[in-house]
Amino acid sequence: MPNGPRADRRDFYQVLGVPRTATQDEIQRAYRTLARQHHPDVNKDPAAEDRFKEISEAYDVLSDPQTRRRYDAFGPDFRQVPEDVDPEAFQRSRVGAGTAGAGQARGAGGAGGFGTGLGGDLGGIDIEDLLGGIFGGRGFGPIRGADQETELELTVEEAFQGGHRSVTLEGPDGRRTLDVRIPAGVTDGQRIRLAGQGGRGSEGAPNGDLYFVARIAPHPRYRVDGRDLYVDLPLAPWEAALGTSVAVETPRGEMKVKVPAGTSTGKRLRLRHHGLPHPRGGAGHLYAEVRIVVPAKLTDEERRLFEQLAAVSTFDPRRR
Amino acid sequence: MGYALVLVRSASLNLEAFTRATGTHPDLVRRLIALGILEADRDAAGELWFAPSQVAVMGRVQRLRAGFGLNYAAVGLVTDLLDRIAILEAALREARRPGR
Repeated sequence: MPNGPRADRRDFYQVLGVPRTATQDEIQRAYRTLARQHHPDVNKDPAAEDRFKEISEAYDVLSDPQTRRRYDAFGPDFRQVPEDVDPEAFQRSRVGAGTAGAGQARGAGGAGGFGTGLGGDLGGIDIEDLLGGIFGGRGFGPIRGADQETELELTVEEAFQGGHRSVTLEGPDGRRTLDVRIPAGVTDGQRIRLAGQGGRGSEGAPNGDLYFVARIAPHPRYRVDGRDLYVDLPLAPWEAALGTSVAVETPRGEMKVKVPAGTSTGKRLRLRHHGLPHPRGGAGHLYAEVRIVVPAKLTDEERRLFEQLAAVSTFDPRRR
Repeated sequence: MGYALVLVRSASLNLEAFTRATGTHPDLVRRLIALGILEADRDAAGELWFAPSQVAVMGRVQRLRAGFGLNYAAVGLVTDLLDRIAILEAALREARRPGR
């Protein structure tokens, strides 16, 4: 990381969202506002810590008029420029070398900007040493990293079967890809812990943990409640009245369900333990919810039979 | 809060182990207990015992203090509010959940 590419370093003024002409008061106000939003204990998003460090680094530099002047003159790599270099002479030498003015250097321009002799290595300065000051260097000693939390959307099938999911996150070391093991039977809102994958500890203290909060995505067929699954079971009126046996789709495949005679809309037929599995106990159930559906258009024959039924039947569903 | 799927073997820490793990002074730790920011159990011999989760609590206290220049009473208020927000956000997610 210390020798990694710096192309992604943003201009400190941009980081704080202030113009280059901002007063010290404006810089402080911008920093305080942003720090409140991105502090790793306030914002559990794994990307927040990185952002907070960037904000703090920008503030560390711009809040001190001396370093701010040097930053303005020499750009993001101002720490490599000896203290006695005259800013104006430096500017002239850079223009002579055909490079953009340092004062305007955005992060991208500053990356390989000057002194290729210095290479990608920041002259032995480890950015973490500088950033250590944010939490560690002010007499606070080693501090365990903050816990982070992010949502992980799963399909019902994934929650049922479990498995592995590759998740890419932005973090202090850039992008990282984590292999998350999804336990079979994970339920909505459950947290999957990845120990030590959260915020960085300072001064050798352990990292925080990263939690994935499982979110079960809406499914076209299943509704999920805890470990129980609900699925619609449309029936024709005669199927519901006479009873039948129908195939119901479950995450395990098709299952035959016996519909007893005299089944009305709203009745739930339970398939015991065919819901989401439980790692340490009984699986949830699958409920097929009966919904009686009539043909939108009747054939002549159907109409005749329904009329006959209507004439013969004494059944009144509204009778109290 | 929800619960972790990983079972954490909870070996309690005594005051010395706790201060070592968190890089803090025992006086500060006692003060934070008195403020109700840290939780500790006192055994029959009067020794303080800390659940491992309190190391994370201490980390949060230290970062909030360092990041915002808060005093410890204010840290207590902020951590309480953050916990309440976390509970509310979890309930809100629950309520927004599609289905039943």
